[in-house]
Amino acid sequence: MSSESIVHLVHFLGMLLLITSLGIIASPLLSACIRFYAMHSFLLSLITLAIAYNHHLWHLGISALLTFLLKVIAIPQIFFAISRKIGVRKEVESYINIPSSLFLAVILIFVSFYVTAGAKTGSALSSWEFLPIAIATVFLGMLVMTTRKKAITQVLGLLLMENGLFLMGITMTFGMPLLVELGILFDVLVGIIMMGIFIFKIRSAFEGIDVDDMTVLKG
Amino acid sequence: MSVVGLLCIPFSAAFILLLPWPRKIMRFIFMAGGMLTAASGWTLVFGSHFQPRIFSLGGNLMLDSLSAVFVLLIVTIGVLSNIYASGYLFREGPAELSLGRLRRYAFFFHLFLFTMLVTVLSNNLGLMWIAIEATTLASAFLVNVDDKKSSIEAAWKYLILCTVGIALALFGVILVYYSIASRLPAGEGSDFLQWSFLVDKAAVLDPQIIKLAFIFVLVGYGTKMGLAPFHSWLPDAHSQAPGPVSALLSGVLLSCASVSLLRFHILTKAATGSAFSNDLLILFGIFSVAVAVPFIWEQADYKRVLAYSSVEHMGLVAVGFGFGGLWGIYGALLHVVNHALTKSLLFFCSGHLLYQFQTKEIKKVQGIFRKDPFLGSIFFFAVLAVAGMPPFSIFLSEFFILTAGFLAKKFLVCAILLGLLALIFAGFLRQGSHMTFGAYSGGAPLRERNVLMDGVLAVGIIVIFVMGFYIPGPLHELIRQASLLAGGNTP
Repeated sequence: MSSESIVHLVHFLGMLLLITSLGIIASPLLSACIRFYAMHSFLLSLITLAIAYNHHLWHLGISALLTFLLKVIAIPQIFFAISRKIGVRKEVESYINIPSSLFLAVILIFVSFYVTAGAKTGSALSSWEFLPIAIATVFLGMLVMTTRKKAITQVLGLLLMENGLFLMGITMTFGMPLLVELGILFDVLVGIIMMGIFIFKIRSAFEGIDVDDMTVLKG
Repeated sequence: MSVVGLLCIPFSAAFILLLPWPRKIMRFIFMAGGMLTAASGWTLVFGSHFQPRIFSLGGNLMLDSLSAVFVLLIVTIGVLSNIYASGYLFREGPAELSLGRLRRYAFFFHLFLFTMLVTVLSNNLGLMWIAIEATTLASAFLVNVDDKKSSIEAAWKYLILCTVGIALALFGVILVYYSIASRLPAGEGSDFLQWSFLVDKAAVLDPQIIKLAFIFVLVGYGTKMGLAPFHSWLPDAHSQAPGPVSALLSGVLLSCASVSLLRFHILTKAATGSAFSNDLLILFGIFSVAVAVPFIWEQADYKRVLAYSSVEHMGLVAVGFGFGGLWGIYGALLHVVNHALTKSLLFFCSGHLLYQFQTKEIKKVQGIFRKDPFLGSIFFFAVLAVAGMPPFSIFLSEFFILTAGFLAKKFLVCAILLGLLALIFAGFLRQGSHMTFGAYSGGAPLRERNVLMDGVLAVGIIVIFVMGFYIPGPLHELIRQASLLAGGNTP
């Protein structure tokens, strides 16, 4: 493939990425949220691979592979296992309903494109075009974290944020040094496992995983 | 003793403790690990003969005077907390912790020490970020030792809020990396995130991007440091963790976050050549002190009062960094040391109080002095010390910070700060004297405390008393060099 068509492909993938993040916000079912997250991560690893191929950066190839293994296979599986064990299927409970959160999401996307419009283009290191998408993903992750009631979807929002930061890293700087990239992925994996353990503890102590119920500590 | 050697000790101690030892042997290994870590930390710092910089692991780890101060702090408070916990959590008899929970505690305790040491020793900004995130992961299970409802809630909030905060700091790290990678030709890629390299090359960095990065790092590491308004996890985690863990969280973990912030501050100042980061630090610092005032006055739970006082003191440290100059940085670093010693002593006292009264409510705690003059006098002196009473060490460092403010001609800020400190002093005196004096309100203590716990208190009060008059020569020299390093070329 020519370098030109790869650039087009990467942009197309970027748009799909934004759509899948909206999918997480729009779907009322937890299993659908997890699938959308897996899809999001899959697109992320494709983008990484395309950039690695286009610029002949082998360390990005490793990042792409690890992203695929960890975020497309391992983490969604962990999530499915947790949701099966604690028996949460529906995630309708959110502080604001789905149409309004979609509306908020669209506003956030506009904001991220607007604030980065002034950023300089055509710098030495490619793709400033991805900056608004990365920032929008971080914002949408925060939106999921703040509007959903279940502890497990808060973690999903956190992961969405992390994907946004990863996208920013690979498109702005062609990825951080491999050592750092590996360390971040390791932290993410351990973090998810720890949070999973705590979700079980919350369920047995509070008889549910609504973060609303956690009101023992105040002031 | 090498840097890597120091890191190996707590790391291997953690994994040795995972093996199925009986209670007595586990306690022995737990204590031995803590003391070995402390001994090698002291040898490393004082045995290095104050060489300016010692690099290891390809420049990713660095021991300079700044990190030396914090290594000293981590291992010292670490060993005190270790000894206290050996008496407090490893007790036998009624209401003892199960062996499984003890093993979990011992494992995460040493892992926590390891991650904090990596945080302060890392020269690579990416590695520093990874280590700070790892401190959160390692300490979540220390906050939740007993699996009570409130501890689980505190640990969950701590985990989620700090992870989000630190994720924002990653944004800042990426921006710093971008600013150097876009200006220099690739090839030196592996050095690009190294702090010492970045400070040398500060002139070529884009000031706008570095400013943006500093804002994100301030929010991210500020969350971990407990600066208001990002502090909401702090009172929960500090009040729910057992005493020796609260001492570590408050005394050392917050300080580790502050040194990471200081490193970014030094970088920002070198790259922008402006007072941009100084002003932000002063703003958030003052706000933190102000936020703490009403809570210190009105809070009903004594461990939460102590937690809000940590918010206040971290605010003061940020203000000291912001004032800058030799006095400001020296005062702030000395304040970090003094706060760590004093606050950990108070949290150790809270462990004694919980034994005696079985409650954390201030209302129900009265007459400590009449029942137990030893505990009562140490507790009351420590309260006076943390409120900033003259013969104790915290007064000295607060005085230095304010001196720096006057030297920097920030009179309004200093005036506000003095007013707030007076209010906090009065609040502490009110709460502290209520608890210490009057008729004894508790019953018979649930459990006998032991000599290890009492010993830690005695050592603590002597140290903070002496530090008020006399800063030991080597420590003074270390902090002075660190503040020269951080003050850079400021007037």
